[in-house]
Amino acid sequence: MSPEVDLRVRIGRLELPTPIMPASGCFGPELGTLVDLDRLGALVTKTIFHEPRAGNPAHRLAETAAGMLNSVGIPSIGVERFLIETLPRFTRWSPPTIVSIGGLSVEEYWRLAERLAGVPDIDALELNISCPNLEAGGHEIGADPRAVEAVVAGVRSRTSLPLIVKLTPNVTSIAETAMAAEHAGADALSAVNALLGMSVDARRGIAPLGTVTGGLTGPAIKPVAQRAVLQVVRAVGIPVIGVGGIATLADLVEYLRIGATAVQVGSATFTHPDTMLRLTDELVAWMRERGHASLDEVRSTLDTAGVRHELAAGAPHAAG
Amino acid sequence: MSLRLEPLPSSPDRPDPVLELATVVRNDEIAPGAWRITLEAPSIARAAQPGQFAMLTVARRDETAPVLPRPMALYAWDGREGTVDVVYRVVGDGTRVLTTWRPAETMTTVGPLGRPFQLEPRTRSILLIGRGIGICSLTGLAMAARDAGVEVDAVISARVREALIGSQDFARLEVASLTEVTDADGSSGVDRLAGQLASLASGSARWNQVFVCGSERLMRLATEVAKASEASVQVSIEARMACGLGFCHGCATGIVGASEESPLVCVDGPVFVCRWDA
Repeated sequence: MSPEVDLRVRIGRLELPTPIMPASGCFGPELGTLVDLDRLGALVTKTIFHEPRAGNPAHRLAETAAGMLNSVGIPSIGVERFLIETLPRFTRWSPPTIVSIGGLSVEEYWRLAERLAGVPDIDALELNISCPNLEAGGHEIGADPRAVEAVVAGVRSRTSLPLIVKLTPNVTSIAETAMAAEHAGADALSAVNALLGMSVDARRGIAPLGTVTGGLTGPAIKPVAQRAVLQVVRAVGIPVIGVGGIATLADLVEYLRIGATAVQVGSATFTHPDTMLRLTDELVAWMRERGHASLDEVRSTLDTAGVRHELAAGAPHAAG
Repeated sequence: MSLRLEPLPSSPDRPDPVLELATVVRNDEIAPGAWRITLEAPSIARAAQPGQFAMLTVARRDETAPVLPRPMALYAWDGREGTVDVVYRVVGDGTRVLTTWRPAETMTTVGPLGRPFQLEPRTRSILLIGRGIGICSLTGLAMAARDAGVEVDAVISARVREALIGSQDFARLEVASLTEVTDADGSSGVDRLAGQLASLASGSARWNQVFVCGSERLMRLATEVAKASEASVQVSIEARMACGLGFCHGCATGIVGASEESPLVCVDGPVFVCRWDA
């Protein structure tokens, strides 16, 4: 008899059946025609805004070395249509529904949180703070720890739903924004959102993206994202959801060892739409093989001292 | 003058797309820079309709890059054999990797996707206009039209004769007329196409519907030719895509300044009604 493996994790008071969930924007209920969504840890909506808004001009996608750039620009049908047309398509599946919310001002997050506060079937909110603050020169809200604190505190006071704050990597000190979010009442953090990037078509001398710059995601960003997750884990006491370039079991285990409680899978779902289910099966098999009964035995097991020992053993005098 | 694209009505009886781990049957260069790949993908082959596409993941099952799958028009399919064929031109890193796929390998494939070309019930005669790789989305329609007893005139064009994709396949379908136009005489193929279409239109030909796949200039030509016959025009559009299912919004036609999201090529298209507004 194979030992039972418990994949459950807790994000604040929210219990997830597995630690594997989609990253906002890289998922929709449409995927349910291809794979069994009931096997996911949670379902995460595309970021919604209070008002309807259009996205960016074409082209919105470009491929890069081991990654992709997008400048979709978060089109939204607005909260009222979202509640009628979109939300029911998520809640017919069994995993918890996490609604990602955005705003172009601090107040827009508050209004949206207020509107969603009493809605049944929403299990948690994820705050996408990588939106431009139109009241502060269009700078990312998430790049300013004071704005982060204002957004999160205001949302906190308007809803009792578990709050996850998705941190932007486009900052000097991610520990600082992480602490601001924790201080303001976040239940968990997800790290990281897309890295700001661009690409150029050398032959034609044009930028492939309609907006020139966009968000870089995929395997290319994993080392940067993992460094950020390590810094966040060291800075706060709340659960951290690791996100950035997860496509294989090894990627997933790396994030858990760094200290992530759960993970989000983004671009890899585009490459192979069954990635999250494959990772779930592979994680169970891996834990069984190693005799791990729960994820607590894997989380935060990164041995940073071990790396130094190995280097010492490989030094020339030791080899001689 | 501006080009206006409107989504066709969505048909409720269209089967949902599926994820299929397809086996490569063959993958060969059929003309300089043009390849034809045959996949064993029974569910997609059974459900496919003319003008639909599939997402082919260029990365192998145990690979993570190239990250983006490639949306490819279904060139031909055989529900009984369970195979689908895609013809592609090698234009970048993704399609270059695609040429390295060998028979018996397993490819992540999603399809059939998108709204198909719609042949109206009363249609008796159609005109197909395709240029370059754009011809690929019209071959399946030619087949379906023939099976429905609809007369097909096809005008296909390319820079050079070797790049005239589908020439033999159209001939094999015994379409009513097949006109081939190349840039061989040094002038632009599209200019010559205009002349050819004008002479076709001035003849006895009268079409109920016109179908086009190619550049914006070609779409404009199609709307002009269609006007004389009072025919409607459907066009197949290509775009970069990530999901192919409608949730990522990577392929929006993207009208600047719009307050709401513009139609998505993947689920509102790739076939649109095409109008040229004065």
